[in-house]
Amino acid sequence: MIEKLAIVWPEIILFATTCVVMLTGQWPVCAVRRMTPWLAAVGLIAAIGAAMASPPSDGLYPDLVPYAKSLVGIMGLMILPLLAGTVDRELEAGVARGERFEPLRSNGAEFYAFFLFSLTGLMLVASSDTLIWLFLALELTSLPTYMMVTLSSRSTRAHEAGVKYFFLGALGAAIFLYGFTLLYGATGSVNIPTIAAHFAEHGLGPIGLAGVLISLIGLFFKIAAVPMHFYTPDVYQGAASPVSAMLAFVPKMAGFMAIFMIVGSAGWGPDGTGLPVPVEALLWVVAAMTMTVGNVLALLQSSVKRMMAYSSIAHSGYMLVGVIAGPGGDGASFWRNGLAAVLFYLLCYGVMNLGVFAVLASLERKGQEADDIDDIRGLVRTHPPLGWSMVICCLALLGFPPLLGFIGKVGLITSGITSGHLALVIILAINSAIAALYYLRLVAAVYLEPASDTGFRPSRYGSRQVAALVSAGGVLVLLLMSNRLITAADDASRYAPVAPETAPYAEAGANN
Amino acid sequence: MIADLLTTPALSMSTDAASLSVGTGPSWVLLIPFLALLGAALCGVYAALGVKTKAPAWTIVALLAASFAATVAMWLGFDGNPYTVKAFDWIQVRWGEGTGAAAFIANFSFYVDTLTIYWMLFVTGLATLIALYASEYMSHDVGTGYSRFFAAFSLFVFSMACLVMGDNFIMLYLGWEGVGLCSYLLIGYFYKKPSAVAAAKKAFIVNRIGDLGLALGIYLIFVHFGTVEFAALFADAKLQGYLEAAKVGNFDDIPAMAKAIPLLLMVGAFGKSAQFPLYVWLPDAMEGPTPVSALIHAATMVTAGVYLIARTYPLFLTSEIALPIVAWIGTITALLAATIGMAQFDIKRIMAYSTVSQLGYMFAGLGVLTPTGAAYHTLTHAFFKALLFLCCGAVMHGFAGQLDLRKLSGLRKVPGWRWVTIGMLVGCLNLAGFPITAGYFSKDTILAEAFVTPGASVIGFLLLLTAGLTAYYTFRVFFRVFMGPVHYEAGEEGHDHEHHDDHAHDTPGHHGDHESEPHSVESEPASQGPEHTSSEEKHFAKHSPAPDKAKQHEFHPHAPGWAINAVLITLTALSVLASGLYFVGGNKDLHTKHYAGTMIAQSTAAYDTPYDKYAFKGEHAVAQPGVGPRGVIAEPLTMPIIGGDPHKMMYFVSGVIGLVGIALAWWLHLAGRTTAAECRMDKVARMFGPIPKWAEHKWYVDEFYHAVFRMPLVIVSHLSHWFDKLVIDGLVNLFGLLPRVLGGLIRPSQSGALQGYAAGMIGGAAVLLLVVLLIAARIGGAA
Repeated sequence: MIEKLAIVWPEIILFATTCVVMLTGQWPVCAVRRMTPWLAAVGLIAAIGAAMASPPSDGLYPDLVPYAKSLVGIMGLMILPLLAGTVDRELEAGVARGERFEPLRSNGAEFYAFFLFSLTGLMLVASSDTLIWLFLALELTSLPTYMMVTLSSRSTRAHEAGVKYFFLGALGAAIFLYGFTLLYGATGSVNIPTIAAHFAEHGLGPIGLAGVLISLIGLFFKIAAVPMHFYTPDVYQGAASPVSAMLAFVPKMAGFMAIFMIVGSAGWGPDGTGLPVPVEALLWVVAAMTMTVGNVLALLQSSVKRMMAYSSIAHSGYMLVGVIAGPGGDGASFWRNGLAAVLFYLLCYGVMNLGVFAVLASLERKGQEADDIDDIRGLVRTHPPLGWSMVICCLALLGFPPLLGFIGKVGLITSGITSGHLALVIILAINSAIAALYYLRLVAAVYLEPASDTGFRPSRYGSRQVAALVSAGGVLVLLLMSNRLITAADDASRYAPVAPETAPYAEAGANN
Repeated sequence: MIADLLTTPALSMSTDAASLSVGTGPSWVLLIPFLALLGAALCGVYAALGVKTKAPAWTIVALLAASFAATVAMWLGFDGNPYTVKAFDWIQVRWGEGTGAAAFIANFSFYVDTLTIYWMLFVTGLATLIALYASEYMSHDVGTGYSRFFAAFSLFVFSMACLVMGDNFIMLYLGWEGVGLCSYLLIGYFYKKPSAVAAAKKAFIVNRIGDLGLALGIYLIFVHFGTVEFAALFADAKLQGYLEAAKVGNFDDIPAMAKAIPLLLMVGAFGKSAQFPLYVWLPDAMEGPTPVSALIHAATMVTAGVYLIARTYPLFLTSEIALPIVAWIGTITALLAATIGMAQFDIKRIMAYSTVSQLGYMFAGLGVLTPTGAAYHTLTHAFFKALLFLCCGAVMHGFAGQLDLRKLSGLRKVPGWRWVTIGMLVGCLNLAGFPITAGYFSKDTILAEAFVTPGASVIGFLLLLTAGLTAYYTFRVFFRVFMGPVHYEAGEEGHDHEHHDDHAHDTPGHHGDHESEPHSVESEPASQGPEHTSSEEKHFAKHSPAPDKAKQHEFHPHAPGWAINAVLITLTALSVLASGLYFVGGNKDLHTKHYAGTMIAQSTAAYDTPYDKYAFKGEHAVAQPGVGPRGVIAEPLTMPIIGGDPHKMMYFVSGVIGLVGIALAWWLHLAGRTTAAECRMDKVARMFGPIPKWAEHKWYVDEFYHAVFRMPLVIVSHLSHWFDKLVIDGLVNLFGLLPRVLGGLIRPSQSGALQGYAAGMIGGAAVLLLVVLLIAARIGGAA
């Protein structure tokens, strides 16, 4: 057990940081409170360092840990400047006027602590090797986000969004927990490699199949795939933009890693194309519907946040294509390895999507963030850095060659084609074309249309604009580094099911 | 090492190339291209700063002179071994592993051998001189336009250096496109003039056709030989094998793909070097300022095609039809352009057609297996054609854009035009192939070789005919414009009054700043020689001795200043001295008989076939049995011309033909001519019926292209436009509508009600499970 600690060092570091942040966030001295985000950043950097040195885990994807946890840490670092000014605005303004600081009215400590808790949970998902650990990690990822949605804004919409998110999230969790129990029932083990070994030896069986399918349907909530997508637009729109930006990445990443594990336990077979037919059919149908529903509904939106929510659904659909394609055979290149394509796309999507939300968060009118497409018309003229960030990120999301999203999509498409899912890839391509309609609408609004004074001014929290610029810059920089990142994603997605006889806790399964 | 090479007869590419080590050269060679690039950048700075002086010109002249000095240093320091100089890693793509490993490598590096040095010497040398000329010629435009001109000019030199010095085909292509771009920019320099813009577009588009061929050729080279680097390509074992096969006439063993390469490359060469049928852009390119015409469209850029074929000569030797095609296209072009040139009245256009015609000679030379002759003709032509253009430019500059030879006469006697007249005479003598001029020797090399090469004697006769026509139209210009009674009319530039232009086609004008408002009559008639004139300040006032009916203004031609004269004198001297190259720098063997031969023999354009075993060594023209690129020669052939060795006889034959052409021009255009517009030729022309008119209209080739290529394209593009508008847009709009309709249908599911969402999730999950199980049952793969 002690060697397992080596894997979870990043989580331990983040947890320790969380404890510190919890204290400094409500410290009576203003300067200490101001240090809170910086402390969180230090913790994240330390966690990234620890993640990079992490040994292989015992899970189905032994090398996933360094890539996934570094990615989580880096995305956390990028989201962090965006969170500034989300909570405690009035309180801090009052303190600045000379009022007394009341820790009980302050939300800063919880807010940053929840943020770090959520990231901790996300990292734990990457290291999980049993169903119980996986479930707890998923819940640790999600529970803080429910609170963050509610805290993020004083409007009733945020509260409504928080409540909806919580109830539906609980429903989703119940579904995949039910799936997990069926898996345990079918195999007699909660250890994921053991389950995989059991399925490889004995086949799925009806209970095992039900377990896999129901688990996946539950996990679809995390990635906002059809039919578990309903909450997405309401929650994204209700929450403040910084939190929406986080919601678009953190649960999605957790969901995809969990899906990797559940689908991996059913197995792609040695050549990477032997996914059990019902599992493949489920993923296929869901992928096709998710892309289509997400894109066609995004077309109808005039709220940019709702549009991005639906586009987030559509991107999950794209990534499911990579899951269907699977890891390929031994030593498969990036162009065959769908899991690597998903891991790389998660990174691309996180950065590109963050840029759009960061631009929205950077524009304020009387404390209200920009949301409607009219709010950002002519942004390139009125606020060139923000406008260009928006243009770059939207084009990248659209998959405009040669931007980042294009490279990500190429990986998904080539792996889809080489694994023989041409029809699905065609659906993906058609959906990309539909997506162009609304992304280009955003680009046109920002770049082509004349500026009108909408009353929106750059937020006084300059770090939000920094986040926007960093995201847009990241889209360009990652493009240059994409070769190395692709290799890293390729290494991280190594799928290593153990042989049945050497599976850990094999005796537990043998009793059934 | 040089001494070794000079005494080695006929270096053979096929055997020595592999053993020639391609080392690394001194990095100061990089100065040659990059000084020019620096010049272009500085001109951009000048333009940005709004410099209103001649600073851009002096910067460019100084930098190009330094570049030329570096080229000379490169020449003097060359020890006979080709070398490469790398500026930086550029394109390096590797893929595959083990035996399947492959790489595409094209570095930003330069390859220096004698061919490179030979070309760069006259490119940088002439560029320097013409930049100096342009400093005065373009002085009416001092300001942003002046900077723009010199920026493009310098960028051209950089591109040309990349083209000629690049060590791989990608660099060559970069330079190829770069010179095309600069050519486009400079032809369209007077961008407010519609004809200049149209000419620029025409040049660009016609060149695209050729560039496509070149691009495909390069692609095939990479596909077939796996490399685009010269050093690796010419040492490639496969290519050496083909050359061995070609040597014994065994062309069937060479794969068709390898044979297709030269056919594609030559399309590129035909486009850039204005060969039939892609020559139509070059005469129109005269819309650009004259220094541009002289440098780019006469001396250097248009010889890029010659360079390309010379550089890739081994590839051309692997196809039995490639070189004959090159020879025939060159010959057809030479003859066709000469006939058009005979009937033109615009002196700059005549020079343009003569450029096309002379380029035809170079291609014919390449085709009849004398890259040496082609290279030598390129050099001499570069000097004398630049000289001729610059003289025409001086006339144009001085006579407010007048270029019509019917409106200019007796310039010899106008004060201040002495050096222009001398320069023009020397240039014309060279172009006409007057004995002992450089043009005479270089043309003879090609002509003689045409008669030596079996099966090419028809080419030889056609080229001889062309030589006669060339002499005629060249001296037609000289006798009309510079000799005879003094008469001139100003061009249309700066004249407000109606211009009576009875000209059949547009006169390429050029907007000048000449004050052509009437000078007061008492303005002193100048008596100084041109040496004393100070640039554009002094105007030589001279009354037109032939009073014209509507000549309401006194026009004062504007004699060239010191810069133009200095350049003309230098070029005159160089044109004269170029004939000396025929006698120095070589040895007895004809292959390396003179300087150009020596330079070519050490480069990739050298070749080894049975022909040079006899033809280039022998004192006689009796062929011995052998085989060569044209196939097996079954029996000894004799190809004497008037009973002697073509190499010897050609001195007399072509000399006589040149003199006949000049005499004809004298009789038809000078003897007995009393006015500028009328001469004996007018009567003679009538005897030919409509033919001279057709020739004047360039045999209606442009109209033919317009009708056959352009009109169908215009029609198709209109059809496509409507198809796009009605059908495609309709479909797109339909498909755009579809998702919206679909979205509208499923939108109500997003009611916002928590219960509804929960029901949707559970219901959806249930339906989904059902669907999945049904699908699985149908496929039959359920576990």
